[in-house]
Amino acid sequence: MSGAVARGGMSAGSPAREAARLARMRRRRAWSVAGWVLCGIGFGMLGLAMGWILLMVLVRGITALTPTVFLEVTQGTGGGLLNAIEGTLVIGVGSMILAVPFGVAAGLYAAQFSHTMFARAIRFMADVLVGVPSIVLGYFGYVTMVEGLGWKFSLAAACITIAILCLPYICRTTELALSQVPAAMQEAAFALGAGEGLVAWRIALPVAMPGVLTGILLAFAISVGETAPLIYTAGWSSYMWNGALVGSPVGYLTYAIWAFINEPFASANALAYAAAFLVTVIVLLISVTARLVLLRREGAR
Amino acid sequence: MTAKIAIRNLDFFYGSHQALRGVTLDFPERQVTALIGPSGCGKSTLLRCLNRMYDLYPGQRATGEAMMDGMNIIGPGVDVDLLRSRIGMVFQRPTPFPMSVRENIAFGVRLHERPSRAEMEERVEWALTRAALWDEVKDRLAAPATGLSGGQQQRLCIARTIAVKPEVILLDEPTSALDPISTLKVEELIDELKRDFTIAMVTHNMQQAARVADQVAFFYLGEMVEVADAGTMFTAPREKRTQDYITGRFG
Repeated sequence: MSGAVARGGMSAGSPAREAARLARMRRRRAWSVAGWVLCGIGFGMLGLAMGWILLMVLVRGITALTPTVFLEVTQGTGGGLLNAIEGTLVIGVGSMILAVPFGVAAGLYAAQFSHTMFARAIRFMADVLVGVPSIVLGYFGYVTMVEGLGWKFSLAAACITIAILCLPYICRTTELALSQVPAAMQEAAFALGAGEGLVAWRIALPVAMPGVLTGILLAFAISVGETAPLIYTAGWSSYMWNGALVGSPVGYLTYAIWAFINEPFASANALAYAAAFLVTVIVLLISVTARLVLLRREGAR
Repeated sequence: MTAKIAIRNLDFFYGSHQALRGVTLDFPERQVTALIGPSGCGKSTLLRCLNRMYDLYPGQRATGEAMMDGMNIIGPGVDVDLLRSRIGMVFQRPTPFPMSVRENIAFGVRLHERPSRAEMEERVEWALTRAALWDEVKDRLAAPATGLSGGQQQRLCIARTIAVKPEVILLDEPTSALDPISTLKVEELIDELKRDFTIAMVTHNMQQAARVADQVAFFYLGEMVEVADAGTMFTAPREKRTQDYITGRFG
């Protein structure tokens, strides 16, 4: 700043040039102020929205959070949420078991063989899949699995549907993380006589691992927060999961929010608040963990 | 003087752009050949022909001959992985793998052999000793290689390359990312390694070429302009373009 002023001062010959320089500086300062104000408004709106939502969910949720919520299953419009907590976690883990191998494999292929037709097709399909509304996926699951295969509302239908939903996210984050692995490092492995598979598995994937894990965690967070596809495929159950993959419905937290917030009973509303609190906290924890994983990677460099 | 690799009329293309034009050059066995020339003259491209690095990229191709022990390196039907075990390469920037110091060495060895644990330990020590790194890392073989200094990392990459026991080592500006002391260590190392290996080295540093090379080849615009022993090259070059370049008049 002081350097720029000094240089301006030296070149200032005529008064006209000096005036122009001042006008330019004033204009620049005005733009700078305007930019900062816009930034501040943007920051304030985001912060306000986040703060408000979190505050409401946390305050209402904490008052609704009793031991019963964690210890008992839902009974009519009261009771606890143990069945829903279990269901949400089982659906989340189940869908990750299905989505992670395929998503990571597809991302690995798209990154390591990025110029092939097949890689381009993978990227295109992932983009299309991201754009499909989740309720359409739910309806797809309902028609094909719940009805078509006769699985009824079931864990299998729910997990497969959520897995399809998460697949493009995992694929794209994996590909992104791998594409940031230095080409020189991979060339060095090739130069020792390593094949494509080994370079991808032993060199590229370990380097990209924090990024890949972050993608998986965020996909898990998505599965915890999804509602529409599950209403079509998991149904709802007030009981604990009975271990069956098909034939019996499963409970989950987002259903409790969706269904109980409208009920004219205080007990039902309390369950909705508690469920919203739990979903928010789980997703928040996952996001923070993902951030920490990424931060640690930055630190290691 | 027998040639370890004999290049005849080598052309190289990046798609439709021709990067090397009719290059003919011998790499004498157990000697250091330095390739010099301005950026973009094709010297790194020539190195990447010799270990078929260009195979990784569609659209890049080489024609002509590069004979090593009766085999045309750039011809069809060459086992590229095997070729790369015989012709190793060290890159401009150190490229340690995301593993321990020991595993960095073992990685390449395991690609071509199945040594026992004791044999592997021996090989790791041998390679690190040859690369003048053993004393500095013998107590931290299990530590991540990324924790080494830049100069140590580059010597690790050299150790990793010689651990595979190649016959030829390609060095692509191996000291351009190093400080002067590390550079000196690597230069001493190159001098020591040429007793066992044939070495081809790209460098932008004339003094370095004069210090370590036995033979120097000058490249300009994809052509090999002149090749001579290092003494002749730097005192009495035949071509005017060579003289202009080595005296710093362009490039």
